[in-house]
Amino acid sequence: MSENILEVCGIHTYIGQFHILEGVTFSVPKGSITVLLGRNGAGKTTTLKSILGITPPREGKIVFDGQDLAGKPSFKIAQLGIGYVPEHRAIFRDLTVAENLQIAERRKGDLAARQDFIFELFPDLKKHYRLAGGKLSGGQQQMLAIARALVPQNRLLLIDEPSEGLAPIIIEALMHAIRRLSESATVLLVEQNFRMASRLADRYVIVDDGASVQSGLMADLTNDQATIQRYLGAA
Amino acid sequence: MTGIFASDKRGSLIAVGAILIGLLLFSLLTTGDLNLLGTEGFGAYLGTINGGDFSITLLSGLLRGMLLFLVAAGLSIVFGLMDVLNFAQGGYFMIGAYIAYEVHHAPAIIAAVPDGNLRFLLGAMLAVAVGAALGAALERGLLRPLYARPLFQLVITFGVSILLLEATKLLWGVSPRSWSTVFGLNEGAFQLFGQQFSVYRLFVIAVGFGLIVAVALLLQRTRIGIIIRAGVQDSQMVEALGINVRAVFTAVFTLGCAVAALGGAVAAPFLGASLGLSTEFLLGAVAAVVLGGLGSYEGTAVASLLVGITQAVIAKFGVQYLNQPVWESLSPMILLALVLLLRPSGLFGKE
Amino acid sequence: MQLSKGVSWRAVRQNWLLIAALILLLIFPFLVGALTNTDPTARRGLAVYWQGIAIELLIYGILTMSYNLLFGFTGVISFGHALFFGLAGYLMGGFQRAPELAGSGLAIGIVVALSVCAALGLLIGTATLRLKGVYFAIFTLAIAEMAYIFLSRYEPTGSEDGFTLGALPEWFDPTRNRIVFYYIVAAIFIFTFILIRRLMESPTGAVLLAIRENENRARTIGFNTLTYKLLAIVLAGVLAGMAGILFTLLNKKVGPEMLGTAYTVNPLLMTIIGGAGTLLGPVIGAVGLRLLELQLRNVQIALGDAVLDIGRALPIILGALFILVVLVFPYGIVGTFTRWRLNRRARSAERAAKQAEALKSVS
Repeated sequence: MSENILEVCGIHTYIGQFHILEGVTFSVPKGSITVLLGRNGAGKTTTLKSILGITPPREGKIVFDGQDLAGKPSFKIAQLGIGYVPEHRAIFRDLTVAENLQIAERRKGDLAARQDFIFELFPDLKKHYRLAGGKLSGGQQQMLAIARALVPQNRLLLIDEPSEGLAPIIIEALMHAIRRLSESATVLLVEQNFRMASRLADRYVIVDDGASVQSGLMADLTNDQATIQRYLGAA
Repeated sequence: MTGIFASDKRGSLIAVGAILIGLLLFSLLTTGDLNLLGTEGFGAYLGTINGGDFSITLLSGLLRGMLLFLVAAGLSIVFGLMDVLNFAQGGYFMIGAYIAYEVHHAPAIIAAVPDGNLRFLLGAMLAVAVGAALGAALERGLLRPLYARPLFQLVITFGVSILLLEATKLLWGVSPRSWSTVFGLNEGAFQLFGQQFSVYRLFVIAVGFGLIVAVALLLQRTRIGIIIRAGVQDSQMVEALGINVRAVFTAVFTLGCAVAALGGAVAAPFLGASLGLSTEFLLGAVAAVVLGGLGSYEGTAVASLLVGITQAVIAKFGVQYLNQPVWESLSPMILLALVLLLRPSGLFGKE
Repeated sequence: MQLSKGVSWRAVRQNWLLIAALILLLIFPFLVGALTNTDPTARRGLAVYWQGIAIELLIYGILTMSYNLLFGFTGVISFGHALFFGLAGYLMGGFQRAPELAGSGLAIGIVVALSVCAALGLLIGTATLRLKGVYFAIFTLAIAEMAYIFLSRYEPTGSEDGFTLGALPEWFDPTRNRIVFYYIVAAIFIFTFILIRRLMESPTGAVLLAIRENENRARTIGFNTLTYKLLAIVLAGVLAGMAGILFTLLNKKVGPEMLGTAYTVNPLLMTIIGGAGTLLGPVIGAVGLRLLELQLRNVQIALGDAVLDIGRALPIILGALFILVVLVFPYGIVGTFTRWRLNRRARSAERAAKQAEALKSVS
C-alpha cells in the first residue's frame, strides 16, 4: 500500500458569496498520476486553487506530505514543493522564455540544475530561449507553462487542462512529457479530454456540482460506461 | 526586444516624435529672434526676448519632466502591479519639499551644520527616509486590508493625500516657502545664448536621467525586476510560484513614495515648498502615466518628459503672449484632461 | 375602503421615523423659538441663529445625498464633487448681481447654473465613464482643481476673495426673513430625499445597484450601463449645484473655497460615516459630522502650559477619522445597524426553524 502525498478532506470553498465547492474529498498516492474529471463548472479548477491556497477553503482540511495547509498563504504552500500549471497557458507573455523559467527558481541554481532535463523534454524552448512568451505557439506556451513548474524540485504538480485547444500531435508530445516527469513527481491533473486522461492517469476522481462523487482506479472507470455517461457526458 | 519594452511600438515612437517636433517648432516660432508670428502687437515685448529663450524653455521642460518622472515612476509601477492609483503620491513630493526646505533653513540646523551642501544632502536623505516610512505605513497599514475592496483603496489614498496636506498645513501654515539660502551647487550658473541656467537645475536633470536608466536596469536585469514585470501581468500566478508577492508590493510601493519625496527635495531649491505642489505634481504625473500607457515603464518615462516640455511651452506661451501666469498652474490639469479625452489608452498602451 | 385604510396605516408604521423627522423639520423654527423663548420670525435672536445652523445642515444634507447617489448607489467615485457645488454658486451669483438683469437675474442664474451642472455632468461622464472607474475619479479631481485655480486668480470674479451677491428680495432674504428661507431649503431637502428614494425603489435604481455590484454582469444582462451612470452623474451634479446655490444665497457671497477639496471630502466622509448606499445614512452623516465640527470648532484643551487648539487641529482630526472609518467602519452607522438587524432576524429565523424541526421530530 502506497503512502498518500496529498489528502483533501471535505473542503468547502466560496468565491465571493458563491458556494463553489460543497464537500470535495480525495487522496493522491505518491508517484501516481491522478486526474480530476467532471463537467465544465463542476469545480475542478477551484479544487486545484483551493489546494494551492489561491481560493482558500472555508471548511475542511488539506494535508500535503503530512503538513496541514490551513491558513498558509499561497506562496508558502508552493514553497513546500507544489508546482502549478494553470489553465489557459497562463505564462508571462511579456517575459522571455528564459525569464519565465528564471522567475520560477526558488533557490539560486535551480534552473541550471534542471535545464538539461527541461530542454530534453521540450527542445522548442531551447530554440526560442530569448523570445517573448507571447510570441510562442499555443503548444509551446503550454510546454513553457509546464517547464516553469519543473524548475524547482516540486514533489506535486497541479496541471490544469493541458490539452485545451491544442492539436492532437502536440497533445501526444505533452502526454509523453507528463509521463516522463511523473517519474520524479506526483501529478494531479484536470482534464476534459477523457481519451487523454484515461491513457495517462492511473487514478481518477469525479467532481460533480462542487462535490466529489466517486474515485478509484482508472482501469475500473474505463469499463464503467454508465458512470462515464452519467458524469462526463459522451466520452 | 522583449518585456516592458514591448513590441509594436513604432507607431508610438512616431507619435512621440511628432509631438516633440511640434513642440520644438512652436517654441522656436515664438522666441524673439525667430519670431515669425508678426512684429505687431506683442512685437515690442518680443523684442526684449533673446535667443536663449528657446533652449531655456526646452531645459525647463526637461527639468519639469524629470521631476514628474520621479512622481510618475512609482505611480505607474504600483498601478500596474497592484491596480492601485495612489492619489497620495503628490503628497509625498510635497512633504519631501518641505523637509528639504526645513533642514536647510531651520536656524538650529544651520548652526549645527554650517555647510550648505551637506545640509542639502541631509535634507534630501531625510525626505527619502520619511517618504519611505510613510509609504510603507500606507501600504502595510491601510491598503493591505482593503485589497478585496478596490473602491475603498482609492478612497483611502485620497484620504491620505488630504491628511498629508492638513498635517503640512498644521506644521508649516498655508503660506508658501521660497528657498532663500544658497549652497555650492545652487550658486553656479552657465550662459546659453545669453540666458542664464543654473548648474543645479542641470544637475537635477542628470539625476533624473540617472534614475530612469537605473530603474530600467533594475526592471530588466535583476530578479526583483523580473518579478515586478511578471506581477504586472499576473500577480496571482507569481505568488503561486512560491514568491511572496505581497512583500514585493510593499517594497515597490515604499520605493515609489521614497523617490517621489526625493523629487520634492531636489525641486525645493527652485520651486520652494507649498501646499499646491501636491495636486499639481499628482495630476501632472497621472497625465504622464496615462499618456505613457498603463503598466509601461518606458512609456511613463517618455511621457513624463513630453508632459514636462509641454508644460514649459504652455507656461512660456501664457506668460509671453497672454500675460497670464495662471496657465502654468493650469497646464497639468489641461494636459490630463486632453490625454483622457483624446488618448486614454496612452501612447504605449495595449488596451 | 377598509383595506386602503389598513395599508396606509401600515405605511405610517413602517415610516414612523421619517414621519417624525418630517414633523420635527416642519416645527423646528417654532420649537426652538419656544425653547429659547425668542421670536422665530425676528431678524436676530437664538431661534434665528439655530435656523441658520439648521439651514446649513440641510444644505450639507442635500450635497451629501447627491454624493451618495454616485458613490453609494452607483459605485462611481468622484473626487471633484465641489466642482458642481461651487460652479453653480458662481454662476447663480454672477447673474444675480448683474445690474442689467434687474429683477430676473436670480431666476436666470438658477436656471443657467443647474443647466450647466447637468451639461458638465454629461460631458465628464461621456468622456470618462466608459473607462475604468479610476479615470472618472482623477478626471473630476483635475477639472475641479482647474476651476479652483482659475477662479482664485480670475479678477472679474474677485480672485481669492470672491464676490458678494446683490440685494435679495426681502421676503426670503436669509438675514431679514430667515424663517422663509429655512422653509424653502427644507422643502428642497425633502424633495431631494423623496426623489432619491423614489429613484432607488424604481427599476432604474435597481440597475444602478446592479452596476455598483458588478458592472460587467449588468452589461451582459443587457443594460446600457453607460446611460444609467450618466443619469446618476447628471442628477448628482444638478443636486450638488442646487446645494451650492442655496449655500451661496445663505452666505450672500461666493468664493473659490467652494470649489476646494473640503466640499468634496466632507460629503464623501459624511456618506461613509452615515452609511454609503443607504437612504438615511448621508443625512445622518451630514448632520452628525457638521454638528460635531461646530461643537469642536472653539474647543481648546489646556495640557499643562500648552494649549491644544482643537479648532486648528480639526481638519487633521477629520482626516484621521476619514481613514479610520474606511478601515474599520466601512458600512457606516445606518449600514452597520441594518446588517446587525438582518443578522439578528436571520438568527431568530434559524432558531424558529430549529424549534419547528424539534417539535416535528417529537410528534
